[in-house]
Amino acid sequence: MAFEKQSRKNFFRKLGIFLMILGPGIITGSVDNDAGGITTYSLAGAEYGYGLIWTLIPSFIVLVVIQEMNARMGIVTGKGLADLIRENAGIKITFFIFIGLLFSGIGNTTTEFAGVAGSMEVFGISKYISVPVVAALVWLLVVKGTYKIAERIFLVFSVSLLTYVVSAIMGKPDWKEIGSAVIRPRVEMNTRSIAMVIGLVGTTIAPWMQFYMQSSVIEKGLKMKNYKYTLTDVVVGCVITVVVAFFIMIACASTLHPNGVQIHAAKDAALALKPLAGNLASQVFAFGLFIASIFSATILPLATAFFVCEAFGFEAGLDKKWDEAKEFYILYTGILVVSALIILIPNAPLIPITLWSQVINGILLPVVLISMMILINKKKIMGIYVNGRTTNIIGWSAVVILIALSMVLLILPVLNK
Amino acid sequence: MTSLTTFYLSGIIGKEAFGSDGDAIGVIRDLLINAVPSGQNDPAQQLVIGVKLKTGKETKFYSFSTFRVVKAREAVNVTCTDLIELPGDDVNNGLLLVENILDKQIVDLEGRKLVRVNDVRLATLPAGTFAVAVDIGIEGLLRRIGISYPIKKLLSLFKVSIPAKFILWDDVQAIDFSNLNIKLSKSYEKLHTLHPSDLADILEDLGKKSSTSVFSALDEEKAADVLEELETSAQIHIVESLPVNKMADVFEKMPADEVADILDELEDDKAELLLKEMEAESSQEVRELLEYDDDLVGSIMTTDYLSFSESKTVEEVLRELRLRKPEPSELYNLFVTEDNDKLIGTFDLHDLVVAEPDTKLGQIMKSDPVSLFDDQKTKDIAEIVSKYNLLAVPVIDQDEQLQGMVVVDDVVEDLISERRTRKRK
Repeated sequence: MAFEKQSRKNFFRKLGIFLMILGPGIITGSVDNDAGGITTYSLAGAEYGYGLIWTLIPSFIVLVVIQEMNARMGIVTGKGLADLIRENAGIKITFFIFIGLLFSGIGNTTTEFAGVAGSMEVFGISKYISVPVVAALVWLLVVKGTYKIAERIFLVFSVSLLTYVVSAIMGKPDWKEIGSAVIRPRVEMNTRSIAMVIGLVGTTIAPWMQFYMQSSVIEKGLKMKNYKYTLTDVVVGCVITVVVAFFIMIACASTLHPNGVQIHAAKDAALALKPLAGNLASQVFAFGLFIASIFSATILPLATAFFVCEAFGFEAGLDKKWDEAKEFYILYTGILVVSALIILIPNAPLIPITLWSQVINGILLPVVLISMMILINKKKIMGIYVNGRTTNIIGWSAVVILIALSMVLLILPVLNK
Repeated sequence: MTSLTTFYLSGIIGKEAFGSDGDAIGVIRDLLINAVPSGQNDPAQQLVIGVKLKTGKETKFYSFSTFRVVKAREAVNVTCTDLIELPGDDVNNGLLLVENILDKQIVDLEGRKLVRVNDVRLATLPAGTFAVAVDIGIEGLLRRIGISYPIKKLLSLFKVSIPAKFILWDDVQAIDFSNLNIKLSKSYEKLHTLHPSDLADILEDLGKKSSTSVFSALDEEKAADVLEELETSAQIHIVESLPVNKMADVFEKMPADEVADILDELEDDKAELLLKEMEAESSQEVRELLEYDDDLVGSIMTTDYLSFSESKTVEEVLRELRLRKPEPSELYNLFVTEDNDKLIGTFDLHDLVVAEPDTKLGQIMKSDPVSLFDDQKTKDIAEIVSKYNLLAVPVIDQDEQLQGMVVVDDVVEDLISERRTRKRK
C-alpha cells in the first residue's frame, strides 16, 4: 500500500535516472572537441584527405575503455583521481603530473582562446575585442554566476557541433572512397604523417579528461547499481567525440584536400570552405568552433585549478568563498588571464604553444594512464570491481602504444634538426 | 645534549638507522604511534611506540624505545642501542604515520574541515618521542619534493617567506584505519566534538569507504543528526552500505518525515526491508507519510508534535514536558486538541512561562489557529508562514484532526532544494 505511488512513478523514475545519469560522459565528450581538436582534425583532413580517418577507430576503443575505468573508479571509491594518485603514488609523481597538468591546462586554454579569436575573425570581429570580452564573460559566469546553468547551456549549444555534419555534407563527400579508406587504411610511413597521427590521438585522449570524468561521476553521486546507464553515457560521449571528429575531417577532406589548400589553423578551414562549399558552410563551421572554444575555455581552467588544489590539499570548489579557497581562485583566474594575454600578444607564437602543450600532454598521458591502471587493479581500492582481463589487455596495450607514440613525438623534432 | 629535538617525518623516512657499533641496521619505513586515545588530551596518543624497519629483504616492527633521533645540522641521524621486536597486538593497535597519515586526508577539528597532510612534525622529549603536529602548508609540500631549501633561499632575496601551516595533534582526527583491526568507535572519538552539520560536510567530502566507516562509528543519536544533514546522494550511499539493523536503529532516532524522505529515494524492496526492521510504532508513522505525494503538505510535515487537552493546567503541561524532554521544534510549537484529535488552539513555551501554574490551557491558548490541510500543495506553505510569521504550522486532515506540523526549517530546506533542482535541470 505504502509504495503504490512509487510503482506508478516507476516509468518516470527510470527515465529520470537515465536523464540524471546521462551527463558526465557526454559533457566530457563534448569538451573534448575543443579548438585544439577541431584544428587538428581540420589539418588532418586538409592534408591527408580521407587517409587518416581510420585512426578514429582505435582512438574510440581506447577512449571508451579509459573513460569507463574513470567512471568505475569514481563510483566505487567516491574519490577524485587526483586524490587517489596523491594517496597511492607518492608526492613526487603527484607533483610531476600536476605541474604538467597545470602547464598543459594553460597551453590548452590558450588554444581555446585562439579558437575564439579565429572564429570571430571569420565574422569580422578583431581578436582584441573578442578575446578580452569572452575571457571576462567566462570569468564572471563561473565566479559570480551559476556554473551549473552555464554547463547546461553549453551542453545544449554543443549540439551545434553537429553543424559540422551539415558542413561536411555540403562539401559533397565521396562516401564510397571514405568507406574504403576506413576499411583498408593506407598508412604512409613518414615523419609528417606519424606526427599527425600522434596529434590526432593526443587531442582525442587528453590527460585532464580523465580527472574531469571521474570528478563529474562523483558529483553526480552515481552508484554501481546504475552502472549500465553510466556505461551508456560513456559510450554516447565517446561516439559524439568521434562522430564530430569524423565529419570535421570529411568536411575538410572533401573540399580542401582535392584543391590542395594548405591550412594552419581551424579558422583557415572555415575561411577556405567559403569558396568551395559556400558562405553558409563557412559560417556554420566558424560558429561551431566559437561555441566549442568557449565551452572548453570555461571548463578547462576551472578543472585544472580544481585538480591541482585537490592533489595538493588546498580547498577548492565554486561553493567556497574567495577567502576559504584563495589558492583555487588565484589559480583559476591566473590560468584564464595568462592564456588570454598570450593570444593578445601581436604575432603570438601560437604554433609552438600548441605543439608544446601537445608534447606535455603526450608525456603526461602515459604517466596518468599507468597510475590509473595500477590504481584500478588494487583490490584494496576497488574491491571486487578491479579490472577484468579484457579491459586490462586493452588498457595496457593503449599505454604501450601511447608511450611509443610519445617517444616518437619527442624524438621526431630532434631527428628533423 | 639538548633535551628537545624536533624533526620531520619526511626527514627520517628512508633513512638508515645505525647500531651502537656504527653499522647500518636497516632502513626506516614507517613510525607507529598509539591509535586508541583514552581522551582528547591524552599525551599517550601521540607517543611513537614502534618503528617499521627494513633489513635486507625483511620488514619488521621494533620498539622505538631503544631508538634515538639526533639532529646534525640539516639532517637527522638515527641510532639504535638494541632491537626489540614489537608484539603483534601493539602493531595492530597502532597508527602508522606514513601509511595512515602522510598524504591522506584527516579532519582538522578546529577548522572543521578535511585537510591533506604534507608532513608530520615530531619531538623527542625525555619521556619519549611524540607526534606533535601535522604540516598542511606549502612549505611541507616543497620539503617533501626536496626543493624547500633552494626555494626558501631564493625567496628570502625578495623578503618573501613561504607560509607554514601546522595543526596540533590534539586538533586532528585520522580517518584512514583501513589496515588496522582496531575498534573504530574508539578511534573516531574526537569527531564527537563536531557539530552534526560540520560532520555531514566532512562525510560528503570523504571517499565512500571512509565515510561509511566514520558513520558507523557514531552513536545512534549522533548518527541520526548527521544523516539528517547529509545530501541525498550521500544519505543513500550510507543507508545502502550499512547493515539493515543498524540503519533501522538510526532511523528510529530520526523524525519520521526525514526518514520518509530518505526511504522515498531508495528502491522499494530495500525501503520495505528497513521499515520491517524498525519498531512498529516508528515505521507506522513513516508509512503514513510515504503515502503522500511529493508535492503535498503531508509529505514534509513532521508527526513528532505535542498536543494537550484544554483542561490541563500550565503546571501539568510543564511537568509533562520535563518528563518527555522533547526536541526544540516540538517545544516551541504546542497544540491543544479535543478528545477526537480535533485541533482547537496553539500555544508556545512563552505562553507557559508567563502564565500562573494553575491557569488552564483553554485560557492561554490562541484559538482558531492558522493551519494547513495535509493534501494541500506544498507551495502554499511559504506564503502562510511568511504572512503569519510562524515557526511551525499545524497540519490537519479534512475532518480537522491534527496530523502533524510543518516546521519552518523543513520548508527552508525545501525551498532551497527546489531552487537547486531547478538550477540543475
